[in-house]
Amino acid sequence: MTGARGFDLVGSRLLAAAGAVVLALAGSAQAAKFFDPERRQWVEYDTNRARDAAQALAVDPRYERQLVEFRTAELPGTVIIDSDAKFLYLVQPGLQAIRYGVGVGRDGFGWSGIVEVGRKAEWPTWTPPAEMVARDAKAAQYASGMPGGPDNPLGARALYLYRGGQDTIYRIHGTNEPWTIGMNISSGCIRMRNEDVEDLYARVPVGTKVIVIMQGPALITS
Amino acid sequence: MRIGLRLTAALLFGSHSFAAAQTAPSTAAGAAEPAAIVIGAPSWPSAQATANIIRVVLEDRLGLTAEIAPMSNDEIFVGMDGGSVDVHPEVWQPNLDALRKAYVDERGSVRESPRTVEASQNLCTTREAAEKLGLRSVADLARRSTAALFDTDFDTKGEMWIGDPSWTSTQVEKIRARSYGYDATMTLLEAPEDVAMASIDASIAVGRPVVFYCYRPHHLFALHDVVALEEPEHDPAKWRVVLPAEDPDWLAKSSAPVAWSRSQFRIAYATALEESAPEAARLLDAIALDADTISQMSYAIAVERKEPYAFAKEWVAAHGDRVDTWVKEAKQ
Repeated sequence: MTGARGFDLVGSRLLAAAGAVVLALAGSAQAAKFFDPERRQWVEYDTNRARDAAQALAVDPRYERQLVEFRTAELPGTVIIDSDAKFLYLVQPGLQAIRYGVGVGRDGFGWSGIVEVGRKAEWPTWTPPAEMVARDAKAAQYASGMPGGPDNPLGARALYLYRGGQDTIYRIHGTNEPWTIGMNISSGCIRMRNEDVEDLYARVPVGTKVIVIMQGPALITS
Repeated sequence: MRIGLRLTAALLFGSHSFAAAQTAPSTAAGAAEPAAIVIGAPSWPSAQATANIIRVVLEDRLGLTAEIAPMSNDEIFVGMDGGSVDVHPEVWQPNLDALRKAYVDERGSVRESPRTVEASQNLCTTREAAEKLGLRSVADLARRSTAALFDTDFDTKGEMWIGDPSWTSTQVEKIRARSYGYDATMTLLEAPEDVAMASIDASIAVGRPVVFYCYRPHHLFALHDVVALEEPEHDPAKWRVVLPAEDPDWLAKSSAPVAWSRSQFRIAYATALEESAPEAARLLDAIALDADTISQMSYAIAVERKEPYAFAKEWVAAHGDRVDTWVKEAKQ
């Protein structure tokens, strides 16, 4: 990957990702906070914008899982994540792809490049970062790890992205409703509906090539 | 273009998925057999095709043993100079002129085929974007209003891929951007071709305008409806390209507000091959390919995912008459 720029996760594009979270916050006009572990600080965001974006994501048929024409030279089985358009493509034979709607941060992954699925987990454990544990009583009770389940922010499935055999901090994971703890929006991760991430999980083996693309701030810039 | 691409891609991003396929199957030379002819293979798709065609022709028509070794342009030239590599399947001009000057002109350790394949290098956009947005020329990109049409990160500047960080052409594209003035309106992105092509695929899938460095022959043109942007014809008097390796102040000393010169590529081989396998050297001089053929081969390998060696075997079998003319010429 090429030059991570950090993870500014506040903004409508990010919040569109946070489907379940923001629905839980619907009706609140107050700013909410999430913990950005990359920058190691709390970041405020507008819950109304989050709600609107999440509702748009929920009702827009473009984000339903569907088979689409996708002309590419990549092999069937390759995953291509378009952070800008908020689509994840699983390349299929015959110049087609299964397209899923995804949520990403305002800056998406913050980078573009090629990684691979290094590990998969069903109902993964989530461990809040130390800074979050220190400040958030709800998170503190899960300091040693929150077991997988309906309240776990990683959702039903997680695909752990590796580069050069090493785990990155990036995951493709599900969502849960409602969010019960502070880290509503994870940094640099791709968030999918639980039913979608379960579908993807069943189709994608460990070792799958994942190309993250993002025109904006992500690639090496001269 | 493309110097060191394969190593960079492999180390940082994972090599292209057909990279592993390109080397197999390889015939191991026994102790009593003559050494295999080593064909260095850069990573781009057409080079995969050309390298495998050469291998099959050498094997099937001359009964020689040949093998393909993935490596960068630099490595191939150094290898041809030092005796570890025999053939470069696609030496691009003007991109590799510095290597050609060093090893062909000055050291004389590398020979070039007299036969060339026409090629081109441009900036491209989709036909849809060109028509809907009225983007016609490279110079248009220097207009902020036009550049903003390609803005994906809301900073008012557009984004465009200009090549792999290791390609010589990428440095030239920086010069061109500065010369035309769109370095102030467009963010110039460098990334491996895999990532860039996937980005272009995804942009086209959703109708998002995209502009990028392009070269042909390339399977991209069979996969997508893209057009080259117009620009003033190449003028050697206006093409002052100083590369970073030549001068730290290279960018300031360079200017290239015109199109690339006519590009071409050709087979090159170690001069020593004329002694060790003269029939192979003559055949390499006789191989005549063209841009359409290379594009078809590239598409078959990169898009249809045919295994390069198997594809080359099929192609040679299906084009026996054409190959016969090469062999006949080589034996004259």
